[in-house]
Amino acid sequence: MRLPSGVVTVLAVVLNTGVGHAAPAPSQGSPPPPLPPGVSATLWKLSVPPGSEPTPEKVALGEKLFREKRLSADNTVACMTCHEPELGFTDGKALSEGIGNQKVTRNSPTVLNAVFNATQFWDGRSATLEDQAKLPILNPREMGMPNPEAVVAKVRAIPEYAAEFKKVFGRDVNYDDLAAAIAAFERMQFSGNARFDKFITGDAKALSASEKNGWALFNGKARCNSCHAGNAVSPLFSDQKFHNIGVAAHKQDFIALARKGVQVVRTGDEKQIDELALQTEFSELGRFLVTKQENDVGSFKTPTLRNVGITGPYMHDGSLTTLWDVMDHYNKGGVPNPFLDGGMQRLGLTEPEIDDLVSFLFALTDSKYDKLNKEQLAKQRARRNNRPERDTEVALGKKGHLGDLAPNPDLHVKNPADLGIYGDVTPVAPSTQSKPR
Amino acid sequence: MTLRMKLLVVPCAALSFAGGVALATSPATKPAPSPPASAPLPKHVVPTSKDGNLVLGLCDGETSLEVEGVKDGQKLTREQAVRATAKLMDDWRKKNPDALWDDVPGPALAQATPPGAKKSPPPAPQPNPGSKPAGSPVQAGGVGAQTGAKAVPRQEQANLQTGHTYGAFSERDEKVWAESTQAFVKEGHRVFHDAEAVGGTVGVSCDMCHPDAANTHPETYPKYQVQLGRVALLRDMINWCIENPARGKPLADGDPKMRAMEAYIYAQRKGTKLEYGKH
Repeated sequence: MRLPSGVVTVLAVVLNTGVGHAAPAPSQGSPPPPLPPGVSATLWKLSVPPGSEPTPEKVALGEKLFREKRLSADNTVACMTCHEPELGFTDGKALSEGIGNQKVTRNSPTVLNAVFNATQFWDGRSATLEDQAKLPILNPREMGMPNPEAVVAKVRAIPEYAAEFKKVFGRDVNYDDLAAAIAAFERMQFSGNARFDKFITGDAKALSASEKNGWALFNGKARCNSCHAGNAVSPLFSDQKFHNIGVAAHKQDFIALARKGVQVVRTGDEKQIDELALQTEFSELGRFLVTKQENDVGSFKTPTLRNVGITGPYMHDGSLTTLWDVMDHYNKGGVPNPFLDGGMQRLGLTEPEIDDLVSFLFALTDSKYDKLNKEQLAKQRARRNNRPERDTEVALGKKGHLGDLAPNPDLHVKNPADLGIYGDVTPVAPSTQSKPR
Repeated sequence: MTLRMKLLVVPCAALSFAGGVALATSPATKPAPSPPASAPLPKHVVPTSKDGNLVLGLCDGETSLEVEGVKDGQKLTREQAVRATAKLMDDWRKKNPDALWDDVPGPALAQATPPGAKKSPPPAPQPNPGSKPAGSPVQAGGVGAQTGAKAVPRQEQANLQTGHTYGAFSERDEKVWAESTQAFVKEGHRVFHDAEAVGGTVGVSCDMCHPDAANTHPETYPKYQVQLGRVALLRDMINWCIENPARGKPLADGDPKMRAMEAYIYAQRKGTKLEYGKH
């Protein structure tokens, strides 16, 4: 069988196009903007609805609105009040505060990479960023505007906005366009330039030994990847599902609360659910408010772990202050309750292993937040001996049954991290591959 | 260097069914019936060129070819390597006219999930106040018996999957899975077509004898491989080809490059009936 080299080359080209996974299909609207290594073009395609691609004009208007305090009833609260760009688009508080310093019942999630969320809010009550943007403006405890018409009237009365909306959308201010502009700005807040990304694309020295061990534990004994799996196509470190991990169980009798809840919740009424979620004890029912499925009682969305070091405090209610607390929570298998996710088990992690996991998690922060990341790490480390969630007896199986533990990775044989767990990208530059081993 | 073994990594896997016949008559490489797994693998010893030219060996363990104008120890350019391997394959086919042979190019590159081949379940329920169908029976004070959960999917016109948190997979999940698989296959395609990536030292890459992974017959493994003298998995034959025709070091079973190549080769044979042990 003789094949002229030309034929082979042609074949290779054909094959290349055949398997091209990252190339944007021309039918899918405009191509994604240049994306950093830790952001997936595939996920961009799946997450940005055709027609909703951010344009520079929409993004600029959206940013202005994002920072606009006049969108609130008393001109004191903007989106950025709880999603401060300098703080990784969070507010650093356990629970967020709206107008008149009123506290809500949920922790402010980061806007970074929110574009890739399958649903928005901790309970997924909104399908899109546009839907999401509309609710806090109207929530009495957040920005407190009475209704969309009032918002539109207020914005229309500001001459600069009246003109800019005309320019960008070609029509008068309306609530949908306002949400679309904010969503466009948020879609540009993708983030994927962490030290971890350097490591996974071939720079073995980008992570310390402790961080590498943390990555191995993440995929092994600590079982983080059961819900926080990341790979080259979906590098969020989140399954975008809803799990009861026993955080809300600290304070609630779930069964009584759920029974009360079903009497109150109107299915599909997003506005009502929004208010129940942020203002009442029903907040702790989580996803159940949206679906009324019993197995969703007390379950909340798996958040992305990108930038987790700078977006504490943790969990839907901000009840865990440091990542050490988070490790303690998982290590003891969460807090028992009738709706606890079956995946929650005791982990038997030792103190050094917990330290390694935490240092790995801090390596997931985008390099543009390096300074903040260092500060946060120092702050959290200072609290390392203050561990309200720790229950070593339970975690290590001295009390009760430990069940099956995943084995410790043997890094002397092979770090599982090197075996291409992350999307099976060969983590070695081709030029070094012809060297004898 | 003088007695250095000259080996060419070629389409070992493809040729194995007929290669077995060819090898059975080759005393130089005839293996012991069943060596322990730790015994060294047989090697294809190719003749030395009197002009000091590079000699490539075919994976059948007996065919070889002197490459004129290229000294031993030099690396072939891709064009030279393609020409040389094509000549070797030609020689082998002349010797084995009746061998089972896939016409090359092989099947078009398989896709993990060909578009339209499979119906995905409807997307996960997206609560959306605006999309509530007109006249949907939302009762004041909650819906129906117990939690009223059954009414939710009907009202939202979505198939809300229930049962447990790990079972509720959406269209998005399936797309991510398919793309992840495809990325893995694509990486295998890259390694398969790159002599450097497989660690070869003479410029020969897998695709030169197996365009589009043709004649690799992954569906026939595990099977007895005469060249190896033992039952082999696909990865064992990949390593034989890396060691012999391409003259590289074998890859570890868990090596990402090995895993990716297996993914690519299997993907190329999507739909082929599994027939382990077939020759």
